[in-house]
Amino acid sequence: MPPQRTYRADALVLRSVPLGEADLLVTLFTRESGKVRAVAKGARRSTAKLVGHLEPLTVTRLALSRGRSLDVINQAETLENFTPLKTNLTAVTRGLQVAELVDGFGSEASPNEPLHSLALSTLAAIGQAPDDELPLLHFQLHLLAVSGLMPELQNCVECRRDIEPDRHRYSADGGGVFCPDCTPDQAGLRPLSLRALKVLRLLARSRAADLPSLRLEPVLTQELKAILTGTVQYWLDKEIRTNSFLNHLAQDQTRRQIPR
Amino acid sequence: MTLEHLPSAAPSLARLIQELNKLPGIGPKSAQRLAYFIIRLPEEEAFDLAAAITAVKQTIMFCGQCQNLTDASPCSICASSQRNREQICVVEEPLDVLALERTHCYRGLYHVLHGVLSPLNGVGPDQIKLRELFARLSDGAVKEVVIATNPTLEGEATAMYISRHLAGGNVKVTHLARGLPVGGSLEYTDELTLSRAFQGRQAVE
Repeated sequence: MPPQRTYRADALVLRSVPLGEADLLVTLFTRESGKVRAVAKGARRSTAKLVGHLEPLTVTRLALSRGRSLDVINQAETLENFTPLKTNLTAVTRGLQVAELVDGFGSEASPNEPLHSLALSTLAAIGQAPDDELPLLHFQLHLLAVSGLMPELQNCVECRRDIEPDRHRYSADGGGVFCPDCTPDQAGLRPLSLRALKVLRLLARSRAADLPSLRLEPVLTQELKAILTGTVQYWLDKEIRTNSFLNHLAQDQTRRQIPR
Repeated sequence: MTLEHLPSAAPSLARLIQELNKLPGIGPKSAQRLAYFIIRLPEEEAFDLAAAITAVKQTIMFCGQCQNLTDASPCSICASSQRNREQICVVEEPLDVLALERTHCYRGLYHVLHGVLSPLNGVGPDQIKLRELFARLSDGAVKEVVIATNPTLEGEATAMYISRHLAGGNVKVTHLARGLPVGGSLEYTDELTLSRAFQGRQAVE
């Protein structure tokens, strides 16, 4: 039986870019069929009914028609707007990184419900704690997990022995932690502190909705960011674009906190 | 589209089609139609079109103050003694200046950013004219910055960045109201726009 000409979908809007005179080209991540690119005709006109429902980082219930190359959005209704997230510059940039990574790891016409749920619960968690780095770090680790790329954090990747405190190494390329006896010839091999390993294991066991309240020292946060961003970027095989603006905001914040 | 894709067209015609094809929203078919339209134009009109393109490229520059496109710096708005020099309205693009000027309700100066912060596309503060804006505000003459970026996620992020940068200073930062468009409909309005419209409700006179 041929697929129906029209269908409904609950989607997270990942990005929307102008198309032609007044249309929008929208990249959606739907629960039902993964990533979908669709056009919203006339959506950029000020009286358009669709545009407010198609802003990035909005969960929208859509009615679409299948097109030859792009589907067409006929109706849209906001289900979740993540308003707290959108009123904080750092939080909205972290949210955009979630959208960027879902866009990078999600596939068209390939549903990935765990990734859909993870993205939504992460956006809610970022909105609840806009100054906390943990929700984004948790997202990066679980993004790897739901993509089948979870790094090994319990045993040595090579010999499978238990990891000894403070003597292990980490490699994104190698797929996780290595014991001191197994040092593969890999350029990306880096030290991994025991505290960072413990936080990674804790994050791996946690859900975005009830993340532990940890107060991480800046050095430890930097180490975790370097490990997770490095691993995600390794698998993404390109630069994470939102990172440079996040780093700029962090430096700006530090400058403001240092009294002159 | 390359010249090799137009083997049967005369080289000069193929080149025109190729150049027109580079314009936004112009596909190969539209480029061909426009090229044949130009060929059929009276010679004088075609040369006027070419001269207009040449002139605009030779004379248009950024205004040294507001960064708007102009053929003289400072531009006519920045040079006017009739404008309120204590107000600067920050917009994304030069076309936004034209839209606001059509309202005849704003008599201050402008600052054109030539874009918005777009973390997803790698556009940061150094890629738009933010540094020039903050430099203009450094002498303390400006009392109010009116942020008129588009009410999109990226426009709002840019507004938040400007507001954060100016926090604690002597400049009042305001933002154009968000709400319902004239001719719009409550039924189809998204909840964020509606809640902002509600927050910004005003007494009926």
